[in-house]
Amino acid sequence: MEQVIFYLFAGVLLFAATMVISVRNPVYAALFLVLAFFNAAVLWVLVGAEFLGLALIVVYVGAVMVLFLFVLMMLDVNTAAMREGFTRYLPVGVVVAGLMLLQLIVVILSEQVDLIGGLIPEPSAEVDNVHAIGQVLYTAYVYPFEIAAVILLLAIVAAISLTMRRQRPNTQRQDVPKQLSVTKEQRLRLVQIDKKNRRHTSDT
Amino acid sequence: MLENYLPVLMFIIVGLVFGALPLIAGFVLGPRRPHPEKQAPYECGFEAFEDSRMKFDVRYYLVALLFILFDLEIAFLFPWAVVLEDIGLFGIAAMGLFVGLLVIGLLYEWQKGALEWE
Repeated sequence: MEQVIFYLFAGVLLFAATMVISVRNPVYAALFLVLAFFNAAVLWVLVGAEFLGLALIVVYVGAVMVLFLFVLMMLDVNTAAMREGFTRYLPVGVVVAGLMLLQLIVVILSEQVDLIGGLIPEPSAEVDNVHAIGQVLYTAYVYPFEIAAVILLLAIVAAISLTMRRQRPNTQRQDVPKQLSVTKEQRLRLVQIDKKNRRHTSDT
Repeated sequence: MLENYLPVLMFIIVGLVFGALPLIAGFVLGPRRPHPEKQAPYECGFEAFEDSRMKFDVRYYLVALLFILFDLEIAFLFPWAVVLEDIGLFGIAAMGLFVGLLVIGLLYEWQKGALEWE
């Protein structure tokens, strides 16, 4: 049964991944990437990495794909011009793909990577995956964990300094205290209308 | 362990069927009399006059980016909360440093005005 589920979701994953790189409309490609993420999450849950599977859905599908779709839908992408560069960028793409393949082969063929703080316990009925991660992540791996915080901080600073570089002169801010503390005299002007010569007596 | 995920699988199947069945039923049962006017794209009765792709303010991306970063922070909080009893004071201190570093980021973006919408 588990095998059937695995092949089913792996098949959909391969199909979705192929569609991501072959479909013409980039928005469709992004949606296929969402499908691929969901199927990868199912595969991770199948091998026992529950927390990673759920984090994949929450972080990648929930946040990263939102950003992707933002960029794709809002950016002024000329799809025809993008396709022109396909052969021009092909060598670079092949090099990157080859490097990633090499890394994967090295990781898969290598012996068990050295683990500090003992082996992570196999997920079982007693020790579930989230416990197993938590036991070592905040104790034995506390240094990489804090480095992750520094990287996140760096990303915050970088994102802000890239997007808030110039102050726009003619933008309007909303100042809530100022709005709330306004009085009737500042906003309302009662005008006496002369009945005889019916014109608005605007005094300014 | 995997038995706990059976309801999830059921939900996936039910969701797929529930989404696909009306579409297939409409495709099979509905009358199809195509006409060039009917198949032309239009927006609110007008013909579409421009591409929907246009340049937007970069602030929209900033909001999404900042959301991702704090989303990741929350993802780290989950296993921490589960094992808090086992890792004790050291775990609290580790998470304190982690959150403290991100609070610096929060203060920075607050001070820079990135949280305000103009």
